[in-house]
Amino acid sequence: MTRPEASLNRLERHLGRLLIIGVLTSASLLTIGLGLWLSHPQSAAAMWLLNAGLVVLMATPMMRVVVSFAEYVGMRQWFFAGVTVVVLVELAVTVLFALSRR
Amino acid sequence: MITLTPAVVAVIMASGAVAGCIGALLGLGGGVFLVPFLNAWLGLDFKTAAAISLVTVIATSSAVSAGTTGRNLINLRLGMLLEVASAAGGVAAGITVARISDIALERGFAGITALIAVLMLSRLEQRNVISDATDNPGPLDGRFYDDESGCEVGYRVRRLPVALGISFVAGNVSAAFGIGGGILKVPVLASWCGVPMRVAAATSSLMIGVTAVASVPIQYANGYINPPLAAAAVLGVLIGSRGGLWFGARARAKWLKALMALVLILVSVFYLRRSL
Repeated sequence: MTRPEASLNRLERHLGRLLIIGVLTSASLLTIGLGLWLSHPQSAAAMWLLNAGLVVLMATPMMRVVVSFAEYVGMRQWFFAGVTVVVLVELAVTVLFALSRR
Repeated sequence: MITLTPAVVAVIMASGAVAGCIGALLGLGGGVFLVPFLNAWLGLDFKTAAAISLVTVIATSSAVSAGTTGRNLINLRLGMLLEVASAAGGVAAGITVARISDIALERGFAGITALIAVLMLSRLEQRNVISDATDNPGPLDGRFYDDESGCEVGYRVRRLPVALGISFVAGNVSAAFGIGGGILKVPVLASWCGVPMRVAAATSSLMIGVTAVASVPIQYANGYINPPLAAAAVLGVLIGSRGGLWFGARARAKWLKALMALVLILVSVFYLRRSL
């Protein structure tokens, strides 16, 4: 049982790093965007930064699922790779539905 | 729609900080406190308040999980399996929520907050017992280093269909009312499915990000999410959750839970009266 547990630990560390990067990036974009928006409410750059921050925020958990899929395939754990694909399909339904509404 | 002045932004940020603080203290997303504040106090309509709260749930999930990784507390396989159900619940509610009236949502919210208050009161004294280490673990079982017993302990996941069912309900409720849904999942996982409390909380924290993302893009496309407002709430929650973790080490959890149950009952009564 040691080998799979070691690779699960590695997956957990990778996901932790991904989440930190996602949160810091989106928090920075949102902070700068909000500051700019407060000083120049009509600024297109401010809105762009705010929307970019929100998109990065939403993309972070999605990226976590993508990375998990890649690592389960690497570990040859087909059942969990399959489970991850189902979650990805569900998220894709949401994104496609959202895009169709724009 | 309210006009966003710097003062309003500051108030939203502060309310996000309070919600994030309470949320981190109690292991919740904090949405259950943010929604009534944005809706009843600032006068945003219910769907906008819920959508903004749901965006802060994503931030909480990523920030809290980043801090818990590396200690084996997150059961990644169980989490991913349950996400199939919770994301399905989120997608379903995300697509349908635009067609549900605000009154119906407010009534539902009153019911959910009352239920959470009862759950919280019934768990004031609860301490979780961790099962003995098993020598033949299945793919969903796990082990972690437990600070309280000072050794590595194992656990065995039981009643998987129950866990999947509650995850679907949590995903549904999450998308409709802007809360994480951990408040429903964690007690069920811990009391019926053999998952130790801290593992249940850590796994749920990771899951709620994907649950929220299963419906937030739709609400974003529907125009329920005002970017500056969402930014203020997210930044507030991120600051507040740091504070909550600091404060959590110094506060009596039992009295906090009792206080929060009281607040939830008041919120519930408020929404029930308003929707009648």
